[in-house]
Amino acid sequence: MSKKLLAPAACLAAALALTSCSGGDGDDAGNAVTVTANSTDRVPVDAVVAAFQEANPGIEVTVTYADTDQLQSTLRTQLSSGTAPDVFTVWPGNGNPAALQLLAPGGFLADLSGAGFASRIPEGDRPVTEYEGSTYIVPVTYSGIGVIYGKEALAALGAEEPATWSELIELCGTARDEGVSLLALGNQTPWVTQLVTYALAATTVYTDTPDFDERMAEGETSFADSGWKAALEQYLEMEEEGCFNDDPLGTSYEASVSSVAQGRAVGLVQVATTLSQVQSEAGDAELGMFALPATDDADQTLMPGSVSAAYGLNAESADSEAAMAFVEFLGSPEGQDIYATEGGTLTALPDEERETDPALTTLTDYQGQGRTVPFMDQRWPNPRVQQTHFTVVQQLFAGDITVDEALAEMDAAYRTE
Amino acid sequence: METAMAPKAQPAAPAGSASPPPPAPARRFRTDRIAVPWWFVLPALAFFAFAVLVPSARGAVYSFTDWDGLARSSSFVGLEHYRSLLSDSGARDALVHTLLIAFSVTVVQNAVGLLLALGVNTRIRSRNVLRVFFFAPAVITPVVTAYLWKYLYAPEGAINAALDALGLGLLTQSWLGDSDLALWSVVAVIVWQFSGYSMVIFLAGLQSIPREIYEASDMDGAGPVRRFWHIVRPMLAPAFTINLMLSLIGGLKLFDQVWVMTQGGPGGATDTLSTVIYREAFQFNAFAYSTAMAVVLTLFVIVLSGVQYGYLGRQERNS
Repeated sequence: MSKKLLAPAACLAAALALTSCSGGDGDDAGNAVTVTANSTDRVPVDAVVAAFQEANPGIEVTVTYADTDQLQSTLRTQLSSGTAPDVFTVWPGNGNPAALQLLAPGGFLADLSGAGFASRIPEGDRPVTEYEGSTYIVPVTYSGIGVIYGKEALAALGAEEPATWSELIELCGTARDEGVSLLALGNQTPWVTQLVTYALAATTVYTDTPDFDERMAEGETSFADSGWKAALEQYLEMEEEGCFNDDPLGTSYEASVSSVAQGRAVGLVQVATTLSQVQSEAGDAELGMFALPATDDADQTLMPGSVSAAYGLNAESADSEAAMAFVEFLGSPEGQDIYATEGGTLTALPDEERETDPALTTLTDYQGQGRTVPFMDQRWPNPRVQQTHFTVVQQLFAGDITVDEALAEMDAAYRTE
Repeated sequence: METAMAPKAQPAAPAGSASPPPPAPARRFRTDRIAVPWWFVLPALAFFAFAVLVPSARGAVYSFTDWDGLARSSSFVGLEHYRSLLSDSGARDALVHTLLIAFSVTVVQNAVGLLLALGVNTRIRSRNVLRVFFFAPAVITPVVTAYLWKYLYAPEGAINAALDALGLGLLTQSWLGDSDLALWSVVAVIVWQFSGYSMVIFLAGLQSIPREIYEASDMDGAGPVRRFWHIVRPMLAPAFTINLMLSLIGGLKLFDQVWVMTQGGPGGATDTLSTVIYREAFQFNAFAYSTAMAVVLTLFVIVLSGVQYGYLGRQERNS
């Protein structure tokens, strides 16, 4: 070979060597399970994995954690290129890029209908755990949205948990008079913007129209023609009545949590999983949780409550006994208990013998009484609706648009193909 | 590149020739001198093509399909995404924000950088300390500075607290929560972080100006303004070109700071093309559409920086 050809040939060889190194999956070991989970669930997942490996010493579980955004984007890339882990976080229902309704139709998830836990999934949660009548995810935690508050702070106002809308508005004024906010609100963080609307819409929409999602899907109703209008109007009324801290649009989620922990606000409307974070910042303070009332009839109040964390089995790993064993463990009473205990939440699969955090009593009561409705975005047909909701709430608080304009934008996003 | 590679394309002797005529010594010497450096560059160039050029070109192809980032197949849709872009008010708003950020950052960052460079190019004793002080923010990761500023900008953050303490409570603002102000708050952070970077480039230019020229202008009775305009400014032309190019391109593709501080909010008031591209791809599953936006952004960067480079190049030659 001439010297002139030697260099390019060497480069070509190096390039081929590099590409050959990346070929092949090399992951055919029958006793190894790869898992990808949300970094917010690191503690419970580590605990579950430790318990699983103790019970199954022959199986090695490797977990990779990623933040929500990274997880959703990476997972899609891995699935499309055939390099996804065996078990991974899947969001129940619809509404985001790694949600069940987006992954199952593509054949990326294994059918888990035959698994032992499938029959124990509550009827109310099946719409967000099933696709075309088959179960595709193992739900592990159940969460709800309500007012997480400091019991001592509320008692200092000489008040009790408000059960009606009027009581809530009155309490906002009382708190203001005492120099604190009743509710901390961090609407600078987009996902926080949705929580108050959800908490109000649970009652304003679903009390009178329990089949609202089905009717939306059929095109028989719209956000503009539903209780969503009342929910957004009441959201703004709470702002006008001084229920929230000053400048919610300039306040982040982290700042809102700190605000409650430091006593500048009595509570905040949040998902139950935030309870542990508030507790960690608030020290020994006793916390409670109540449903956000939206009408003056306390019996009408409903609470957003739904399967929160869930996992799917990669369709390409469906034949892996080790991966299936891990999924079964997640759905077992032991796995559910460990996950919920370490995560400070409720189990997705009901377990009457399990003791729960007293602060979550309201949520368990509502769950038991069938007075919960799934998180709204889990029933929306595409992620654009949720993002539009974030944007319009911020625009409403900035005074840039009206409620009617906000609802029109959400309707347009809902109908987007 | 064509010039450099041209010698390789010279007709060579056919393979198997018994005794090809030896090239003229001068010509051979020139060919080797040009070819050898290219062999050294080739691995890096190959990696660049593998990691950047090829994926970018393939990404551009996706903009003509309906690929959602997940499906194993896609259909050709022609220019549909580009037509949709024209009627996408969100993308239009993001484009306006992007241009506002790019131009304001380019102007203010370089103005501040130039002033700082002129200031630390004097004989004051603390000049070395000041140079480090002003340049320090530029070496911090943008994401980290964005998080720090997010806390400083908070309603009860250090900026409003300082204003209150100084009796200037009336000037306290919702820095990131006010849709009219948030964009400029983000711009201020970028200017704060990278003015020192511009300063260093200007400073290098200033220090390359021979002292004799300053002394001659002193003897001619030129004041500071005239000296700046007629000596410093023309001789800093290359530094201006580099700084203006870098800050314009940086402003056009801005993502990190916006995403950390506002995620495009409140209500889309700080959305840039990059944040919208990210959201379309990774939150809305509209990979092909987001790729079309990325292609448009790339064209914007190429055209604007090309026009700017052409103009500044002429200025340099005139200087």
